[in-house]
This record gives sequence, C-alpha cells and structure tokens, in this order.
Amino acid sequence: MTALIVLFAAAFYLFFYFTYGKALERNVVKADGARPTPAYSCRDDCDYVPANKFVLFGHHFASIAGAGPIVGPAIAVVWGWFPALLWVWFGNLFIGSIHDYLSLMASVRYDGKSIQYVSGELMGKSSKYIFEVYIYFTMILVVAAFMGTYGALASKSPEILTASVLFMVAALVEGQLLYKTKLPFWLSSAIGVALTIGSIIVGFIWPFIACPNIQLLYMFQVIYIILAAALPVWFLLQPRDYLNSYILWGGVIIASVAAVFAFRGFSWPAYTSFAARVISGQPSPFWPTVPLVIACGALSGFHSIVGSGTTSKQLDNELSGLFVGYGAMFMEGMLSTIVITSIGAFGFTVFQGVADKIAAAGFDLAKMQTDAGYFGQVGAAVINSKDIGIGGALGIFTKSFGQMLNVIKIPVKLGTTLGGLWASAFVLTTLDTTNRLARYAFQELVEPVKKVSKGLHAVLADKWVASIFAACLGWFLIAKGGNAYTALWAGFAGANQLLASIAMLTAATWVKKVQKVGGGMLAAVLIPTFILWFTVFCALIWFLFVIVPVTATALKVILGGFVILMLVLDVWLMYNFFKSWNEGKLNKA
Amino acid sequence: MGRLLDSLKRGFRSFDKGMREDATSLIRKQLDEEESVFALVTMGVFSGLPSPPTGVLLRILPHMSREISVMNKRSAGLDDVFSQTLGTFDID
Amino acid sequence: MRIYFFLGKGGVGKTTASAAWSVGLARSGMKTLVASIDPAHNLGDALGMELGDKITHVAENLDAAEVNIDDMIRAYLDELSVKMKHTYSYMSAMNIDGYFDILKDSPGIEEYATMEAIKKFAAMTQYDAIVFDTPPTGMTIRVLAMPRVSLLWTEQLVKMRKRILATRGMIENVQGKFEAQVDGETVVLSSSEKEDPIMQELVGYREELKTLRDMFSSDQSHVSIVTMAEDLALLETKRIIESLGKFKIQVRTIYLNKFFAMANPPDEIKGKMEEQERVVTRMKAEIPGIVVKDIPLLRTSPRGVEALFAVYSKYLV
Repeated sequence: MTALIVLFAAAFYLFFYFTYGKALERNVVKADGARPTPAYSCRDDCDYVPANKFVLFGHHFASIAGAGPIVGPAIAVVWGWFPALLWVWFGNLFIGSIHDYLSLMASVRYDGKSIQYVSGELMGKSSKYIFEVYIYFTMILVVAAFMGTYGALASKSPEILTASVLFMVAALVEGQLLYKTKLPFWLSSAIGVALTIGSIIVGFIWPFIACPNIQLLYMFQVIYIILAAALPVWFLLQPRDYLNSYILWGGVIIASVAAVFAFRGFSWPAYTSFAARVISGQPSPFWPTVPLVIACGALSGFHSIVGSGTTSKQLDNELSGLFVGYGAMFMEGMLSTIVITSIGAFGFTVFQGVADKIAAAGFDLAKMQTDAGYFGQVGAAVINSKDIGIGGALGIFTKSFGQMLNVIKIPVKLGTTLGGLWASAFVLTTLDTTNRLARYAFQELVEPVKKVSKGLHAVLADKWVASIFAACLGWFLIAKGGNAYTALWAGFAGANQLLASIAMLTAATWVKKVQKVGGGMLAAVLIPTFILWFTVFCALIWFLFVIVPVTATALKVILGGFVILMLVLDVWLMYNFFKSWNEGKLNKA
Repeated sequence: MGRLLDSLKRGFRSFDKGMREDATSLIRKQLDEEESVFALVTMGVFSGLPSPPTGVLLRILPHMSREISVMNKRSAGLDDVFSQTLGTFDID
Repeated sequence: MRIYFFLGKGGVGKTTASAAWSVGLARSGMKTLVASIDPAHNLGDALGMELGDKITHVAENLDAAEVNIDDMIRAYLDELSVKMKHTYSYMSAMNIDGYFDILKDSPGIEEYATMEAIKKFAAMTQYDAIVFDTPPTGMTIRVLAMPRVSLLWTEQLVKMRKRILATRGMIENVQGKFEAQVDGETVVLSSSEKEDPIMQELVGYREELKTLRDMFSSDQSHVSIVTMAEDLALLETKRIIESLGKFKIQVRTIYLNKFFAMANPPDEIKGKMEEQERVVTRMKAEIPGIVVKDIPLLRTSPRGVEALFAVYSKYLV
C-alpha cells in the first residue's frame, strides 16, 4: 500500500506536470526561451547571475522545504489519511503549484523584484503595506507555532533533543573549518556531514540531554533565536544552513526508498469524520479549515516570497521556470505524501507501542482502530497528550518514520532520531530566520513613529528591541497559551495563506492585465484565487469564533486581535483587487 | 561513454559550484552590506552626510570602483528591500 | 629643523611678523624658507618682491614662496581625475566631472590642501627653518588640528576595512579567489591587507598623519600668535591657546602688535593705553609659560629686508 500511494503520487505529479503545467507555461506565462531573464539583463554576478537549473531547483526546493510539509500533514491525518492526501494532491495541483509558478514568473518579468513590490505596482501601494503587515504577523505566529511543535517533540524525546543540540555544535565546528581554515572545501564538508551523522548516532545511543519541562525548552529556543540572529552569520547560521541541505536531501532519499520498499498496508483510518477534532480539540470542518493545517505541502504564501527573492534573479531561461517553480512545489507535495504514508502505515504501530499509556489516559485503542468516528474525536488528543508522551504531530511522524526505516533494517530509535533531527533542524532554522525577518519588518513598520517621537522611534527601531520583542511575543503566545500549538499552527498557517492570497491576487491581476490572458486559462488562475480567498476568509472567521474563545485568556486578546486585523486587511485587499481589475492601472511587462 | 563522463563531470562541477555558493550565500550578503556602508561613509560628502575630511577620500577614491557599484546597486533597490533579503531566509 | 607658525587675524600684522622673523633667522646664519599659505597674500608686499608658487631667492639664506591654495586644490583634483580615468572605465557614462565640482568646494578640502602644503615644505630638509605666514586664525586652527581629526576617521576606516577583508577571506576559503565584475571588467577582490589598494592607502595616510601630528606637538614646532592688546583680543587669544592645547599644540609667544608706546599720548589714546597695560598684566598672569612681546605702532609699515630686520632685532628677539 505504501509503495502504491507513493508511486501513484509520483505518477500523478508527473502526469500533471507535463499536461497542466505545460499548458500554464504556454498559455498563461507564455514563456519565451528567447527572452532574456533578469539573470542576464540585470546581470551583476552577485545577486543576478544565471544558475544551472538543477542547482537552482536544489536551492529553491531547499528554501521552501522545511518543517512545514511535515508538521501540517501530521496534524491533518486526524481527518484520515485520504482527505489529507486529497488536499496535498489537488490543493497543490490547482492552487499551490500555480501560486508558486506564477509568483516566480511574474517576478522574473519585473526584473526580479519581489512579489510584494509587484503587488504594489499592480494593485496599489496599500497592497504593499498590507503585505508587510501580514509578513510581520506571520513571523510572530511562526515563532509561537514552531516553538510549540518542537517543544512538544523534544520534551518527550531526549534522543532528538540531544541530537539537535549536538548538531548545533557540529555547525559551529563546521563554521570554523569552512571559513577560518584553508582546509579543502570537500574535506570540511565531509567532516561536517560526519559530525551530523555523529550527532544522530550519539543521540540514539546516549541521549544525555533530557528536558521534560516544556517551558524550559521554550526559553532555550527564545535565547537561541535571539543569539543566533545576533552572532555573525558565519559563526552559526551559515554553516548550519549548509549542513541542513545535506540533512534534507539525505532525509528525502532515505524516506523515499523506505516508503517504496516498506510494502505495508495502511492501518490508519482512511476517513474519520468531516469535522474531526483537529485544531485545539475542536470539531474542525475539513472545509474550510484544511488550509489552516496543511500549508507547505499543498499551498504556502511563503514560497512566493522565496521565489521572488533569489530564485527569480538566478533563473537562466524562462523555460526553466516550470521545472524550478512548479516542479519544486510538486516535489514538496511528494514529501508530504511520504509523511502521510509513513503515518498511514505505521501510525498504529506507534500507538500499539504505548498501548498501556493510552489505556491509562482513558482512551480505547481497539475502538480507535475500528470506529473511525471515535478516532476523529480522540486521535489528536492521543497524539498530543503529555502523559502518553508521543510528542505531538512531530512525534507521531518521527516515531512512525522510525518504524518505516526499520523495514530497511535501521533500528527504530535511530530512524526516529534521524527523522527528529530532520524536523528539528528545519524548525530551528525557521525560527532564527523569522526573527531576523521580523526585526526587519518591524523596523519598516515603525518608520511612521519617527514623525511623532524621535526618541521613541530610536528605541523601537533598535535591533535588539525589535528582535527580542518579536521573539518574546511568540514565546508569550505559546507559553501562556496552554501549549496549544495546534491553534497557533493554524494561526500561522492562516497568515501564511493570506500571503498566498495576496500573491495569487497579484498573479491573477498580472495574468489578466499584463499577460492579457482570457477564457479558460484565466479561469484556471482566477477560480483557485477566489476559492482560496473565500476559504481562508471563512476559515479565519471560524477560527475567530470557535478557536479563539477556547484558548487561554492571555492569548485570546492577542490572537483574536491578530485575526481581526488580518480579516480587515483581507477585505481591504479584495477591494484593492477589484478596483485595479476594473481600472486601467499602469502596468509594466 | 565519453559523452556520459563529460556530462557527469559537468554535472559535478555545477553541483560543486552550487554547494560552494550555498555555503557562502549569507556571508556574501554581509560583505555587500559592509562594502556598501564603507562607500557610504567615505563618500558622505556627496550626499550631505557627515564624512571624513576630504583628504581621505582623495586618497582612496581611485580604488573604490567596486564599493561604489555595490552602493549604487543597493540604492537602486531601496524601493524593494524584501527582494534583496527574502531569498536568503529559510522559512517553511 | 624648526618650523614656525605665525597665527593671527587678518590685518593684525602676522605677515610682517613672520617676514621679520625669517629675515632675522636668515641673518643669524640659518637657511630659512618663509612661505605664505594665507590666501590673502601679503608676503610679497612685505618683502618688497614678486612671489609665486615657485620658491624665490630673496636674500642670503632666505627663500620665499606664496602658495596658491586654489591652484593646489585644482591640481589634486586633476591628479585624482587622471587616476580615476584609468580605473573607472565607465567614467563618461557616470559624469565624473559632476563629482569633482562638488569636491572642489567640499568641507575640508582647503584645510587638506593647506596641510599638504605644510607637509611639502616641512619635508625640505635643506632648510634649517621654515616660517609660515598662516591663513586667518580659524582656518589655521583647523589645519593644525587636521592630523588629529583625520587620524580618528582614518583609524575607524582602517577598522572597517579590516572587517571587509576578513569577510572576504572567509569567502575565499570556500570559493577561492573572489572575483567580481565591475562594469565589464573582472577585478580580483583581495582579502589580504598587503594587496588591497584601499588598505594600503589608508595605512600609508595614517602614517603621514601621525608624523604631522607628532611634528606639530613637538619641540620642533613653534606657534606664535600675533594680536593686539585689547580686551576682546585677549579673550580670543586665550581661546585659541585653549583650542590648540586640546590638540597638544603649545603656543609659545604672543606678539602684541601696533602697541601704543608714546611718551605724550593724547587724551583719546590714554584710555587705550590703560587697556593695553591691563591686557599685558592679565596675559602674563593668566597664561602660564607664555612669552609676551610688544611691537610698537610704527610710523611707516616696514617694507623690504632691511626694514624687516630692524623690526626683528629691536622687537622680536
């Protein structure tokens, strides 16, 4: 069954790549191999330099892949593996990959300017500002959500905690080797990879760092992100990012091989119920809330930012855009497919491993296996229960991953540690990145304060203040929120999908007004855009009225405030869109 | 057979170049910043910023082509700061 | 070799004083050069000769020159322009001339050129003494302070440059020699201090500045102020001495020029003479270690070497 699903997914994506994808390339983007890309027309051998399309694919994929495609599906499987897969396949196909591809190509046509800039050009300056606000809120929510998922995982798994910390040390050493010595590059890299593998093995054999207190783990993460953002980049960030790519590719290859050769049927329920208790233990209707859970594997606004950041400036040829932008998103869909497969086939094995604890916590394991409806009600509670100790969404993934690797003769705990390091490496990288980005966005946002009070502005715009503020706000959200990371994850995903909405609206405007596409192909862009906007809007309203009231009091106001603000901006955005749609807004091809 | 080896060699060279760039992308961004600031500080006289006494500038100006072009490039991109920075961030 | 600076406001008599001093030194056997770096040149008038940029022989042991600072500035900028045309291939597109128009009037360019002129003359070791007729006080103080101020900036720039070179070094360790395209040409960006032209310039300039700074503060330099015995002038003189003191430059002598020394002063002048007395007393009391000399108001302004020597022997020594 596992092989079946994985191979089917591969075939699915390949088929649509060559049919739907090519149609988009021909009729919507109208990609022209002869037209010079910004990598050539603005070439400065620094940011703008043509890159080999395979290398660019690797970079782009590494940038967009992270913990997202893992955590999202791991939470969504409580609806059953089938609905989760459906969204990963069709959400990706009809919305996500189009979003990625069009953002990339629109940026290419605008000399590599960011999609935020393009939105300002096409839909008015206020759209640009809305974009910035969304980015800032997403940064704070990301910190809260990711700290929560990592905290849930690491507090229950000393192996993974040990491996993560040792990996940090490995990155520090690698930094010294690469940048401060004259050691040959590949030798330093090999040492770095060896140290990474070493940290996994040590974590597996001798998990000497254990921290069951989740609050302490949050504090550790906060201190880590502030420090990491403050230290010189070559010290920790750069070598860590570099080693992460080895972990990513290693993980993807091992996971694919294991998934294809596991030959196991799915014991996980295919479908539990429409409104299974997925987010914050509340009944969560699959529509409209699934985009709040599965973001990156199917659709993620961040990809538009990444695509229009470096990738668009390094695209060597318009015809490579499909492979890099569209293809990378499909690949991420494959990754999420593998995650769902792993849980689908081995999730119950994990449950059986802690059967006594499940019973002690008052759940009926046998009933979970036979009664899908019951599973939908209690599944998330079992996964997130501190007493049972699976470790949340990341926990169920890493443990089932360990089981899956066991099929190719890797000891279960080792496989679990590998999966755990994979996930945590990306969580931590996302955390310190967002802190730096938040600092940036915050400093932009407080610009207007200068007119009111120079002194206050000086304090707010100070880099330490901005950095600590963002980190602590995220920390506050998760620590005071009763560790309800699913709610915060949903909040983050919501903000992320709002970014996707802006990008899609921008892309749709571009397609109509600049590309002058009409008819069916325009519908192929417009319909998903509206569906996305409407779905996310409804999802956020649901979130406001169902989830916010049940979060801890301290959280209610902030989270509620965020959501209301985002909704208001969302409506304003739609207004901008319609205004520019009908006007003959200036455009530049 | 020869052609296969050739394309493998080329492939590896691209991979090698790509990995090396990967390993220095953030540092190169930092270098850009440092060079741009250096240019700004020394050439402040042209934009009304406090600057070193002109003597220093007269000495080093003939050698500053790189720093000036970095500064110009960044100034040109000031209306779209995110595009210059977001690509390096690893979110998701 | 000794270097003498005569400071003072315009019209206060410093040209006469510096010219007289140089004549005196020459007569006593020291090979002397007197140079005017004051844009309002009076040195030629005082010596009774035409003077220019080129060093003119005036009398035995005595040479003189009037430096045209504006010409110097233009010459520096021309030299810069030539250097830049070599290294900046896209000059014509960039309108470099625009840059130079700005530089011509930029803050500090006059001070820089004046300092370079001082440096040039101070390096002429064939002389035993160099006497400078300086620009008006404000400018001269800035010029004398310039080595110290420039050093502060240069040190910071050296630090910044070191950081850049260190960062380049890190990239080099991974990617090999760092090359960049600068307008169609491939340039190697060095990471070593010895190979980086900017670092070399900065370090070289720092050494020159240190030498000048030390020279100004040492026994080699004699700074004198030429002023008049009036209350306001006293306050100003004290301020000048304080400013220079901050830069560790010592003022050794005050010359009170156009001093009223009459046997039978008319009533209108009596008040002035009382002021003079007061000023001299206060000066000697409030400025420790200073030598105060007065030069009386002369019937005719001294012109020519002989007249100047008379002034020297009677009043300056």
